[in-house]
Amino acid sequence: MKELSKQDLLHLYRSLIRTRKFDQLNVRLAAEGKLLTFYHSAHGHEAVGVGASSLARDDDYLFIHHRGHGLPYSIPRGIDPKSCVAEHMGRATGWGGGITGFHAVDKEKGVLSSAGTIGSGFVLSAGYGLAAKKNGRGQIAFCFSGDGGVQRGQFHEAMNLCAAWKLPVVFVVENNGMAWFTPNCDTTAVEHVADLAKAYQVPGEIVDGMDVLAVYRATEKAVERARKGEGPSLIECKTFRYRPHSEGRPDVSHYEPRSKEEIASWMERDPVRLFEEKLLKKKVLTAALIEEIAREADEESAAAEKFSFDSPFPDPARLPDMVYAP
Amino acid sequence: MKELMYWNAISEAIAEEMARDEKVFVIGENVQESPFLATKGLVQQFGPERVMDAPLSELAIAGATVGAAMAGYRPVCDLTFADFIYCAADEVLMKAAQQYFIHNGEVGVPCVFLGVAGGGFGNGPEHSRIPAAMVMHNPGLKLAMPSNPYDAKGLMKAAIRDNNPVCFFFHKKCMPMKQAIPDEEYVIPLGQAEVKRSGTDVTVVATSYMVNLALEAAKQLEGKLSVEVIDPRTLVPLDMETIVASVKKTNRVVIIDEDTECCGVAAEIAQQINEQAFDYLDAPVSRLCAANSPIAGAAMEKYVIPQLPQVIKAIETAAGI
Repeated sequence: MKELSKQDLLHLYRSLIRTRKFDQLNVRLAAEGKLLTFYHSAHGHEAVGVGASSLARDDDYLFIHHRGHGLPYSIPRGIDPKSCVAEHMGRATGWGGGITGFHAVDKEKGVLSSAGTIGSGFVLSAGYGLAAKKNGRGQIAFCFSGDGGVQRGQFHEAMNLCAAWKLPVVFVVENNGMAWFTPNCDTTAVEHVADLAKAYQVPGEIVDGMDVLAVYRATEKAVERARKGEGPSLIECKTFRYRPHSEGRPDVSHYEPRSKEEIASWMERDPVRLFEEKLLKKKVLTAALIEEIAREADEESAAAEKFSFDSPFPDPARLPDMVYAP
Repeated sequence: MKELMYWNAISEAIAEEMARDEKVFVIGENVQESPFLATKGLVQQFGPERVMDAPLSELAIAGATVGAAMAGYRPVCDLTFADFIYCAADEVLMKAAQQYFIHNGEVGVPCVFLGVAGGGFGNGPEHSRIPAAMVMHNPGLKLAMPSNPYDAKGLMKAAIRDNNPVCFFFHKKCMPMKQAIPDEEYVIPLGQAEVKRSGTDVTVVATSYMVNLALEAAKQLEGKLSVEVIDPRTLVPLDMETIVASVKKTNRVVIIDEDTECCGVAAEIAQQINEQAFDYLDAPVSRLCAANSPIAGAAMEKYVIPQLPQVIKAIETAAGI
C-alpha cells in the first residue's frame, strides 16, 4: 500500500466537499420543484463512493449506486457534475442528453448503466468483469449497491458466477440498514452482507463507511486482487443516510418517524467532518484552505445551476431514433 | 450447395461469425453439449473460453451478456428453452432493451438471446411457449423466428451483426427440416418478409413453424383456393409493406401465430393491416393463435396449439368458403 500524498488526500477531501455541495444543490432544486425527476440524496454516504471510486482507472467499468445519483462516484473521477444537474432538469446538456431523467452515463470513464431498479448492477457488473477479463488489460469493474439490493436474486447469482469464473469485480455495498422505509433487521436474518460474500468464497470485508480512508484502503486491496486475476471481493461499508429515502418522502422506519437519537448519533460521525478533522491534525488542511475549497465548490455548483437553467431541452424529434442503434 | 439440418444451419452461422469476429462468444446453459444442438460442435472449434457453460442462473447469464455487450463484445446468450426468457426478463426487458436509450445512444447492446421455442413435444406450460408478443411489446428488442434452415442461417448471421439485442427463437418442430444451403456466405437482413408461396385468393401471414403448416394447408387446398403464404421472418422489425401489398392483392387475410392470442402478434399485425389496407379488405382480418391458456402438455397440447386441420379451416373461413 502506497502512502497517500498530500495531493491524494486533498483530492479525496475536495471530492467529498464537491459531492456534498452538489448533493445539497439537487436537494434544494428538488424542494423548489425544479428537478423534473426524483432525487435520492447521498448525504451521509459520501465517503463510500468517493473513497472507493477514487481507485478506478479511466478504462475501468463502474456501476453506481443510486445515492446521489452518481455524484459520489463520478466527481472523484473527473466527470463534471454539472451534467448531473442538467440531466435532472431534463436539459440536453445532461449526461444522458436530458432524455433519461437521472441515469448517470459517461462512456469515456466507464460509467455505464446506472439503474433505477435496486440491485441491478450485480449481474451487469459480472458482464463488465467478463469483458475486462477477456480484454486482458487489467481492467476491473466496480459495482456499488445498497444493502437492500443484496436481497435480490441477482446478487447471489452474480456472486456465484464471479467467484466461479474469477471475474475482476469489486463489489462495494453501502449498508445503511434501510431499504426504502423498511429496516433490514426485519427482512433478513443476516446482519453483515460480508458474511454472504463468504458463502460464495468471495472475500468480504467490513469497513467504517464514514471513514473515507478506511474505504479507500479496503478498496485498494480488493482492486489489487482483481487486477491480479484473483477474482472478486466485497467491501461492506457501514454507513447511514441522513435524509429520507428520496426527497419529499417521509423519513420513516416502517411507518413511524426514524429515531432522532439514532440520526444524531450518526451525525456525530459525519464523514466529511471526520476527514476534515483528520487532515487538520495532519496539517494537510488549514482553516484558510477549507474555506477556499468550500468557496470553490459553492461557485462551481452555482455555475452548474445557471448552466443547467440556461441549457435547452432536448429535441423530442430525437426520441424515436434513440430506441434502436443503427 | 450442401444440405443442412435446421439446427446445423444455426450452429454454422454462429461458427462463421465467431471465426469472422473475435468479439463474438457463446454463453449459456449447456452450450458445450447443446441439448437443442444450436451451439453443438462450437466448443471443439473455439474452446471453452468462447463457448462458456454457465450456472443455471438466467439473470446472471443474461445480465453478463448485457454487460459484456455494453463493454464491446457480441455475446450469443443461449437460454435453452425460450420460456426461460421469463426467468431472465429483468435483464432482457429492462436492461438489454433499454440501455441504448438510457445511454443517450452512446452505448449499444449487440447480443443475441437464443431459445428453442414452441410446442410439439407435449412438454407443458413451462417448456412450450413462444414468447413473441412479449418481445414485440418491449421497444428496443428485435425478434427473429426462422421457419426453415436457410432462413435460420441467414437470420442468425444478421442477428449477431446487429447492433441491438435480438431475440432468436427457433422452433422445436423445425428441427428435422433439411435444406440446401449455399456454400457462399449470405446474410438475410432483419425486417424482410418473404412470400413463401404466391396466391391470389387469400393471404396467410404465418410465423415460425406455423409457416410450414400454412404451406402444407395451401398445398392441400390447391385447386380449391389459391393461397399466398407470407413469412415475416422477423417480427421486429416487421415488414408490413410486403404484407400490405399481398392483402391489397387478395383482399382477404388470416394471421396464424403460435403464441397465445390475447394482445398477441396476430392482434398487432391485424391492426396494422386495418390501418394501412382497410379499404381493400373484403372480410375482417382473422386470426388463429394458441388458445388463451397455459400450453397444455402431453395429449392435451393439440387442443391449445393450432394444428393442421384448424389451419386449413381458418384459411377457408378467411377466404369466405
